[in-house]
Amino acid sequence: MRILLVEDDAEVGRFVKKGLQEAGHTVEHAANGRDGLFMAAGESFDLLVLDRMLPGGVDGVRLVETLRGQGNHTPVLFLSALGGVDERVKGLKAGGDDYLVKPFAFAELLARVEALGRRPAVDAPATRLKVADLELDLLSRTVTRAGRKIDIQPREFRLLEHLMRHAGQVVTRTMLLEKVWDYHFDPQTNVIDVHVSRLRQKLDKGQEKPLIHTVRNAGYMIRAEP
Amino acid sequence: MLLRLPCLLALMVGAMPVAATELRLVAPGLAYCDELSARFARLPAARQEVARDLAEEGSQLCHDGHVRTGVAKLRRALRAAQPRQN
Amino acid sequence: MPHRRQQHPGPLWRLLSSAGFRFATLFAALFLAAGLGFAGVLWWGTAGTLERQTDSAIRADAQALAERWREAGTDAVIEAIGERLALDADGQALYLLLDPRGQRLAGNLVSLPPGAGEGPAESWHHLTLEHEDEAPGEARLYLLELPGGATLAVGREVSEKQRLRALLTEGLAWAAGAALLFAVLGAWLMRRALERRLTPAVATAALIAGGDLSPRVPLSAHDDEFDRLGASMNTMLDRIAHLMDGVRGVSDAIAHDLRTPIARARNGLEEALLSEDEDPAALRGAIERGIADLDNVTRVFQAVLRIAEVEAGARRAAFAPLDLALLLADAAELYGASAEARGQTLHTGWTAPLNLTGDRDLLLQVVANLLDNAVKFTPPGGNITLSAARDHDQLIIRVADEGPGLTLADRERVGERFFRADQARTTPGSGLGLSLVRAVVQLHGGVLWFENGDGPPDFPGLVVLFRLPAAAAPAV
Repeated sequence: MRILLVEDDAEVGRFVKKGLQEAGHTVEHAANGRDGLFMAAGESFDLLVLDRMLPGGVDGVRLVETLRGQGNHTPVLFLSALGGVDERVKGLKAGGDDYLVKPFAFAELLARVEALGRRPAVDAPATRLKVADLELDLLSRTVTRAGRKIDIQPREFRLLEHLMRHAGQVVTRTMLLEKVWDYHFDPQTNVIDVHVSRLRQKLDKGQEKPLIHTVRNAGYMIRAEP
Repeated sequence: MLLRLPCLLALMVGAMPVAATELRLVAPGLAYCDELSARFARLPAARQEVARDLAEEGSQLCHDGHVRTGVAKLRRALRAAQPRQN
Repeated sequence: MPHRRQQHPGPLWRLLSSAGFRFATLFAALFLAAGLGFAGVLWWGTAGTLERQTDSAIRADAQALAERWREAGTDAVIEAIGERLALDADGQALYLLLDPRGQRLAGNLVSLPPGAGEGPAESWHHLTLEHEDEAPGEARLYLLELPGGATLAVGREVSEKQRLRALLTEGLAWAAGAALLFAVLGAWLMRRALERRLTPAVATAALIAGGDLSPRVPLSAHDDEFDRLGASMNTMLDRIAHLMDGVRGVSDAIAHDLRTPIARARNGLEEALLSEDEDPAALRGAIERGIADLDNVTRVFQAVLRIAEVEAGARRAAFAPLDLALLLADAAELYGASAEARGQTLHTGWTAPLNLTGDRDLLLQVVANLLDNAVKFTPPGGNITLSAARDHDQLIIRVADEGPGLTLADRERVGERFFRADQARTTPGSGLGLSLVRAVVQLHGGVLWFENGDGPPDFPGLVVLFRLPAAAAPAV
């Protein structure tokens, strides 16, 4: 993916750029809002990673508003030291697609970047999702593995659907909490782990190849190959 | 704010109708005194003592040069000597 | 200070610039205006009537003379005028008879008013009479053109009106003077009263501006506007003091309780750096532990900030109508799995819908924190109950566990940041969970309290209850 990173802190910028490049992405780095806006408007990117507060008179929210005003719909991920709920809402309202509060784990950033960059096309909604021998039917809401129907609860269905839509990508616990349960809160203990392991048990019962993999220090990933 | 009060007062006084023209009265002279005395003498009640005293006093005043006071006295005498109408 | 208005120290300026003085002056002006209006009505009522009466008398007299002229001729009119003048003891009557050539035939006026003869056959004139040895007087004069060209003028001197006017003017002047005096006196009194009532508030504000937040405005027994002002100032000060305590709490928390995990992370990293051990796996493990410690610091930090945010009431912007039953179901579903994993049973019970207005994420956080505690402290195989009920216009939410419970002394302290009961020291946790719960419940206008469970006295279990105001209308 071709990613534009607009971040004024040199150290954070270098760290994020290096990490994203190592993950196989092309990264352009702008150190202030004006340069960022100039580059974002002039070139084509798959994703913008923006600091919320930027020097140079154009902050992250202004930048996104300007781009959206010009009909540019490149996905935007905000990075911000402003963690208040109002700030988050402001960022998303301005046209941001995701919001990550500093300090963050790089794994979390990478997972969110990849989820945003490869969002499924909206105009062609899939009715069936398939990973290896696991099939999920969105219309009948049934799950089968190797032709055998698996009894699954509604929430587990949504959990599996989210994992399968991002098959091959890391999905973090926070992302699951936000996307599957639709809450922004600190669950104290890893309640998500319990749910994922329960789902994993149902899917992998009697199968030799596990499908849901735990990614150390990051989250989960569903994929055919181990 | 304090200036309003005198202003209002002045306005009130100033707004009163002021006479446009000035007129003079005929200054009464000795002749008029005599005319009034004659008029008094013609009245039937002229013999009343009070009225007669007044008339004489007025006439005397006229002749002493106090015409205005004299005329006023004579008039009061005339009025006092008028026959009662009602 | 540039923003402070220039002070004029003179006592006169202080009086003039006082609000009390301005009020009093305003009232005096109103009073005076009302008095003037009243005097005006009186004036036109009395003097006007007098004028009308005079006018009708003059007209009657003139017509009587005109009648006489028609019946008996000029000489009779001359005689009549002479008689009338002779009987006019007050010297107020005015007569003038002119022949067609303008020659004076009778009367006490020297001439007609200028421009009189050119008007209509009859006309009214208002004029000034000159006296030889007195002030000029006012007069009304009625001019009547007699058939044949002779002119008859009949008038009266209207000195009553003058006297009335002088009297009224004098009265008004006195009244105005008195009103002015009362205005100044009232202004002074009012200013003093205002100042006396405002002094406590001003003094308190000055003390607070000086840096001491503890004084409050003393309230009098009147319960009037000034007391209400003082009371709202006190409420405001209480709120500010509370917020300052919150800020202080955050800095205390940072000063004391974040030091430990930060020190731990630092020590671990330093140890790894200094250790002779070249084993990359050990080094990696030390770095990972350091990152985990720092993540923990971040979590505690965010929890502290969030509590401060909630206590400041800033999150009320995210309030929306919601059905608590759905939220409880989500929470039970989320934590039911954890309880199940520990061999515990989560019982639920409520009747939908439970409508209220609130912050969805914060309320879920509350229930999550309570369920998390319950799961943590209940031994394996125990029961946890999450229930809710509507009680008139309140919702009561209850989370019961079979853990060790809380002693009465601990219940008092449980809302304090970083407080952890002795039994809880060995379990993971920051000690912030219940302070956040309390803060969120208070933000929603609710109350949090604790009860003992049904267990044996030495291990009674804990029941956490909170009450939230329910919404009257169903949530959309």
